[in-house]
Amino acid sequence: MRGVEVGGLSAWFGSKQVLHHVNLVAETGKVTAIIGPSGCGKSTLIRCMNRLHEEVRGARVEGKVLFDGIDLYGPGTDPVEVRRRIGMVFQRPNPFPTMSVLDNAVAGLRLGVKLSKVELRERGERALRAAGLWDEVKDRLGEPGAKLSGGQQQRLCIARALAVEPEVLLMDEPASALDPASTLRIEELIGELKDDYTVVIVTHNMQQAARVSDFTLFMLYGEVVEFAPTQKIFTRPDDQRTEDYVTGRFG
Amino acid sequence: MQDARKRFHEHLDELEREIQRAGQLAEVAVARAIEALVRHDVALADQVIAGDDELDRRYIDVERGVLDLLATQSPVASDLRRLSAILHINLHLERIGDMAVNIAKIFKSIRELPGSPTVLAHVQEMGDVVGPMIRAAMEAFARRDLQLCLRLPEMDDPVDRLNLGMYKEVASLASDPAMLDWGLRMTVVARQLERVGDHAVDIAEQVGFLLTGEFREFTDASHPVDTGI
Repeated sequence: MRGVEVGGLSAWFGSKQVLHHVNLVAETGKVTAIIGPSGCGKSTLIRCMNRLHEEVRGARVEGKVLFDGIDLYGPGTDPVEVRRRIGMVFQRPNPFPTMSVLDNAVAGLRLGVKLSKVELRERGERALRAAGLWDEVKDRLGEPGAKLSGGQQQRLCIARALAVEPEVLLMDEPASALDPASTLRIEELIGELKDDYTVVIVTHNMQQAARVSDFTLFMLYGEVVEFAPTQKIFTRPDDQRTEDYVTGRFG
Repeated sequence: MQDARKRFHEHLDELEREIQRAGQLAEVAVARAIEALVRHDVALADQVIAGDDELDRRYIDVERGVLDLLATQSPVASDLRRLSAILHINLHLERIGDMAVNIAKIFKSIRELPGSPTVLAHVQEMGDVVGPMIRAAMEAFARRDLQLCLRLPEMDDPVDRLNLGMYKEVASLASDPAMLDWGLRMTVVARQLERVGDHAVDIAEQVGFLLTGEFREFTDASHPVDTGI
């Protein structure tokens, strides 16, 4: 099965076009990194991949995002269902501050079909284990999420995204607000998650892209410059602009 | 460009200038070692031995410089290939310097023995090929010249032939034990020069990797390979 296929995608904020005919295939079981300078459209691109972009007033999208053969922007596609199947983790950990650790993990489940307390507990534990957080919080499930460290809070947000059992996980600079140890933990987690999920990560940290991803897409001014296996991008990219960016000759 | 990145690229340029200077020193060391042997010049041989300290110092400086940049700058793409090439070429040049020292020491150890002008001419001939090989490999690096890199294996062929021919020359000295003793050391000298040629080819391979991103051995002792990139 193929993961997410973006075809000829363009996006606007009002009259300003921020993406120009972007093509990308994020394969299942692989991590795809999106890199590029600030304002190049990285975050907009992944926000188009689960229909979050359209939530901004005046924003619009043209082109296709196919997932499992379904056009996410096709008529009759439910954006809420899209976002359940394609989850997202943001730059800053944003757990519900007063909600307990367990309630945070299962927050998304409370929106859908009503589950029993036992089922919620089981799904919460499963998500916290998948996010690599269970051993650290199993005795603190009732504590507020805000009491966890920054790195733990981010993994709690990943658990929250995983609890609704998505097939794709979009990560928008998930470690940029974390210390090196927490960053490493998140990177290890990404490596573990890719066995079960299609992962797309936006990052400013090129070494992180090099470490965690299988494929890398380099964007500039809303356009794709180069999309290739990560090893190639960081050893011998085809495009001079990619070479200049990854070697720090501009940016 | 950010200042930090600019400084990184300036450091890279400086390391490359260092390695070019090391290349000149290595070439001169080999030429002088052969000259000392052929002209029977002990002072020149001592100069070669003492001069290796300078090459060793540069080797360590470049090695440290490369490791510093690897540790602090996370080089990628052409920067990474360039640093990798510098690291390898540095080692090849240091080894070439050691071979020049070996030749100088061999000469000093056998300078009292009778020698053969024919064999010395043979050694000189090998030297006349390997010197330009070092120069060509380093020029290919400086000019980023892939075509020049690809000429190195061809340049190396006569060196290999001359090295093999040396055994026959020395065998012809077998009737005189003292001269045979001298001749056997000359086979070691020829072997050193043959290795210098191999190092020059290896340097060209590193330059080929820098330019193409594909590492290919131009020659392989166990498997003949196509040298086309």
